[in-house]
Amino acid sequence: MSNLSVNICGVNFKNPVIAASGTYGFGREYNELYDISKAGGVSTKGLTLEPRSGNPVPRIAEGKSVILNAVGLQNPGVEEFIKNDLEWLKGKTTVIANVAGRTLEDYEKICARLDGLADMIELNISCPNVRAGGMALGIKPQNVEEVTRLTKAQLKKTPLCVKLSPNVESIATNARAAQNGGADCISLINTLTGMVVDIERRRPLIANNTGGVSGAGIMPIALRMVYEAAHAVEIPVIGMGGINSGRDAIAFMMAGAAAVQVGTANFTDVYAIPRIADEMNEWLDSHNIDDVNQIVNTLVLN
Amino acid sequence: MKELLATVKQNIEIAKGIWAITLTLPESVGKIRGGQFANLSVGDSSFPLKRPLGICGVNGDDIMLCYQLKGDGTHRIAEKKVGDKLSVLLPLGNGFDLGSAENIAVIGGGVGIFPLAAVIQEHSAGRNFYSYIGFRGKEYACLTEEFKAGGKLTVATDDGSIGYHGNAVQAFLADYKDGAYDLIISCGPPVMLRALKSALKERGINVKCLVSLEERMGCGIGACLVCACKKSDGHNARVCKDGPVFEIGEVEL
Repeated sequence: MSNLSVNICGVNFKNPVIAASGTYGFGREYNELYDISKAGGVSTKGLTLEPRSGNPVPRIAEGKSVILNAVGLQNPGVEEFIKNDLEWLKGKTTVIANVAGRTLEDYEKICARLDGLADMIELNISCPNVRAGGMALGIKPQNVEEVTRLTKAQLKKTPLCVKLSPNVESIATNARAAQNGGADCISLINTLTGMVVDIERRRPLIANNTGGVSGAGIMPIALRMVYEAAHAVEIPVIGMGGINSGRDAIAFMMAGAAAVQVGTANFTDVYAIPRIADEMNEWLDSHNIDDVNQIVNTLVLN
Repeated sequence: MKELLATVKQNIEIAKGIWAITLTLPESVGKIRGGQFANLSVGDSSFPLKRPLGICGVNGDDIMLCYQLKGDGTHRIAEKKVGDKLSVLLPLGNGFDLGSAENIAVIGGGVGIFPLAAVIQEHSAGRNFYSYIGFRGKEYACLTEEFKAGGKLTVATDDGSIGYHGNAVQAFLADYKDGAYDLIISCGPPVMLRALKSALKERGINVKCLVSLEERMGCGIGACLVCACKKSDGHNARVCKDGPVFEIGEVEL
């Protein structure tokens, strides 16, 4: 049995396999299937200041080895989360509160509200934002740095993780922008933007027309971006994008990730998270590695 | 609720483009209520999503799921042979709660008849079912024996090739007499459910009516908020977890 626990900016995760935001709710449904304390952590469904009802349906479609989603941040609002779910979830595992907003002020307020309550805050800056003229804040490096600086100023106790969008000119530049803004760590990749078409109806399958692409098919892109980001900054990186097995997770950690998140795989296999943690342990044991932290950033380029 | 690796016992076409797959579960999943569904893996990792299919019948640890060949995923399921293994997550959703109803009208259209068949199988003792099931034409008709077992069956076809010439809602309304039913249960395409809702209102039929909805799903267990439907109070409900069965007045169709 290898040591699987990791520590990221002072926050302890019992293993490096964290549920990715949006696929896992606040953990209650998966806890009906297995004890979610087996997860290293949970990144919550994206939270906003006010409740949001989300996009029209259909909100999901499938491509080859990928899915697309456009849920539109449906959530009960941060106050309901704090009242009904936060303490319960903290009793189970490490809680990363994923947050989003329409304005910079929204981001500041929600971070101030969650400071000292969640174990970590993860900024979703991939949603359309008023300040960026409807474009996501996560695209231009100056916007990434600004939202990071403003939210970091609200956080006296809880570390800040900035979740980077892959739909950008340079992932390394945006990773550095988050670091310059004061991020304690970064996570990536958020979904790629895509489309699936029903040719009989000549219409996109998703009501929103486009959706975020995730799943096994995006893993090589995600892995490359995690490598580039991890080598552009000094702060820790949480890697994600198409992880489906312990071997996938280990590849991300070798590329520089201190931990990983698992999203779409939960839909394919509801037990994906505990299975991946077990598979990582088996691989480490079979290679006589007694601590998962020893594999981080050990990739040797050709 | 469990995810299990089930063994294909039978996988056959039962009507034009309609297939029934019987799976043997390796262990019990507890009681399955009519109207609940299963999330069935396509058995190919290039299809990340499971397919939510209404449970059509239960026999010990065997369950039957019916599906219409529609996209690549359902075609792939149709290729599965006896003895193949498929991952399946079940039972999901709330199912139909018939309460103390004794005389129940069953209105099903197309693939919407599948979960209704399981309700009849579950409750055939001690209750009378008056079923109205509609198909496009006779080549699409299936599961008629299962519905007959519950009581009276009226088949309707859009083209009149067998049974009542029209749809299931029209067939139900043509027969309807006040006081005949203490519950209506229904499942079918949205256009059918909308027609049922407006007909109940227009005719002043105040019998409690439960409908089962269909929506594209992600997790199937209520976590991902993909399969939202709008409730009459303006809030969203999760078709997979809060439903798929709702009172007809409770949801916007």
